[in-house]
Amino acid sequence: MQKKLKFALLGLVLIHLAVLGARFFAPYDPAEQHRDFAFAPPMLLHWVDAQGHLHLRPFVYALVYHSESSAAGPYEDDRSRALPLRFFVESTTTHGNSQSAASGEPQRTNHLRLFGVDSPGEIFLFGTDDYGRDQLSRLLYGGQVSLFAGLFAAVLSLGLGILLGSVSGFYGSWPDAVIMRGAEIFMALPWIYLLFAVRAFLPLHVGAQESFFLLVGVIGLTGWARPSRLVRGVVLSAKHREYVLAARSFGASNFYLLRRHILPETYGVVLTQAALLIPQYVLAEVTFSFLGLGVSEPAPSWGNMLAELQKLYVLESYWWMFAAGLVLVPVFLLYHMVADAVQQAQL
Amino acid sequence: MNDQAQTQAESREPLLRVVNLQKRYSRGRGWRRSRLLIEPLRGIDLQVHAGASLALIGASGSGKSTLARCLAGIERPDCGEVWISGRQSGYSENAHASGPIYMIFQDCGLSTNPRFTAAEIVSEPLLISNWGTTRERLHRAIGLMTTLGLQADAANRRAGEFSGGQRRRLALARALVLEPRILILDEALAGLDLSTQAQMANLLLEIQRARALTYLWISHDLTLVARLASDIAVMDQGRIVESAPVREWFAGPRSPQGQSLLQAAGAWRSRPAS
Repeated sequence: MQKKLKFALLGLVLIHLAVLGARFFAPYDPAEQHRDFAFAPPMLLHWVDAQGHLHLRPFVYALVYHSESSAAGPYEDDRSRALPLRFFVESTTTHGNSQSAASGEPQRTNHLRLFGVDSPGEIFLFGTDDYGRDQLSRLLYGGQVSLFAGLFAAVLSLGLGILLGSVSGFYGSWPDAVIMRGAEIFMALPWIYLLFAVRAFLPLHVGAQESFFLLVGVIGLTGWARPSRLVRGVVLSAKHREYVLAARSFGASNFYLLRRHILPETYGVVLTQAALLIPQYVLAEVTFSFLGLGVSEPAPSWGNMLAELQKLYVLESYWWMFAAGLVLVPVFLLYHMVADAVQQAQL
Repeated sequence: MNDQAQTQAESREPLLRVVNLQKRYSRGRGWRRSRLLIEPLRGIDLQVHAGASLALIGASGSGKSTLARCLAGIERPDCGEVWISGRQSGYSENAHASGPIYMIFQDCGLSTNPRFTAAEIVSEPLLISNWGTTRERLHRAIGLMTTLGLQADAANRRAGEFSGGQRRRLALARALVLEPRILILDEALAGLDLSTQAQMANLLLEIQRARALTYLWISHDLTLVARLASDIAVMDQGRIVESAPVREWFAGPRSPQGQSLLQAAGAWRSRPAS
């Protein structure tokens, strides 16, 4: 395996593990609100305090709010209150905010988190949004939606593409004609409008899980056309190879020929397609959630985190709200590196 | 008593009997299928007795390879019958229809999957016909490979790593592993250097004697045919125009196509070296 492929795969695995382990890595619950700290800027980790002493354990300064906003914003570091970083803290999460808690006792759960600070005191390494929710936590939890929507949708459309493409290429004749005309229709379909249409049929509020599967379904089911055409091409050339004919002369079944001889030929194309489709589908999810068609608040996704930027004052004043857009960049670059490396390996 | 009658009947009945085999290719789909393009087989009648070695010769495009493919069960003939030792065999997509006829292809480099190891290639027919366990299949494949002069330690090498002559041995081992009665050799010795060709020819003759095989040679090389075949059939435009024992044919072919083939070969050999 090439160095490049190893590097890119390692990067992707780390990102996905971080996102999957959001419960452990995130310092807060994604829906937990800190109403006193709306749009708090990212806090800096310090090792050296105001007196010039070096600390082995990094710390952050507590934030204080000024009613009159200065050039640096309404918040200021309280130099007298250093909050040292604690690792492997047991934390209590209150699910739901204080408003919904009116209906009964809020649910409390205890679990281990990678880091936190002693209460009273908060740590917002990536800042907060307008409800005072921690951006880092939302980014990690939101990645579960955005990254895995892309992954599942790609698996769905590649699975469908391989199935239909190999049937089409292998059997030829009328199944080929029917499937390929279908693929042309799907390629011509403006799928963003298709999703608008599907969304319009559904009730106004759809739960986070339902809308996740809806997105995966629509993106995955409309995207099969291109991979199926590529797979068909490979199958078409592979089925006339002499070793396929030889196996047939020994009485091999169509299923055997496909499984042992023909589908292995398509692996390269399929892997390259996967590495290109996944980021494309992640972007599709982000776009839909940005437009309010995807996963809805309070569940985070990178798309609906970016949706905050639709407000001009957020766009102008709070640069840390771009975080969800910025994390897309390394993810895309790594996936494209994988695609590139896989393609090179085939040559 | 009954047994004797049967063996007698078998000895009279040729091992392979082909009656009026036809194949045509047409272009177009559905209702346009009627457009006829080429007709490589226009009614082949052929008889091959057990232990014989029939050479099919003829100009390019005379339908030799198509006949071979139809007999090996790779293609479905449009019409006609194939009888193997008194039993009719028909083409079907999945069944082991061709019966005990296997084929060795023109280019052995293409007829073995480069992803497979030597052992996988040789044991593939056993796997397809669900013969034995994995260990038994491997054992049998390696046994056959060693009798054909391939080292046992070559079993785990991939097909692409073998030389041309070795790949032919692999293809031969694969064709022999199910113990066929008829082997079709489609230009099996073409494209090899002379010493390898001689080695392979000797190997094939040895195997024929040891296993009581019947060969169907398809070849352009009349020198090889003269050495290896017992009978000759000349094909032209999808028909067999002449068939004769090999000595008789070389003494004087009766058909004009046969004459021109022999003449061409003779002219080639008597051409002065420059």
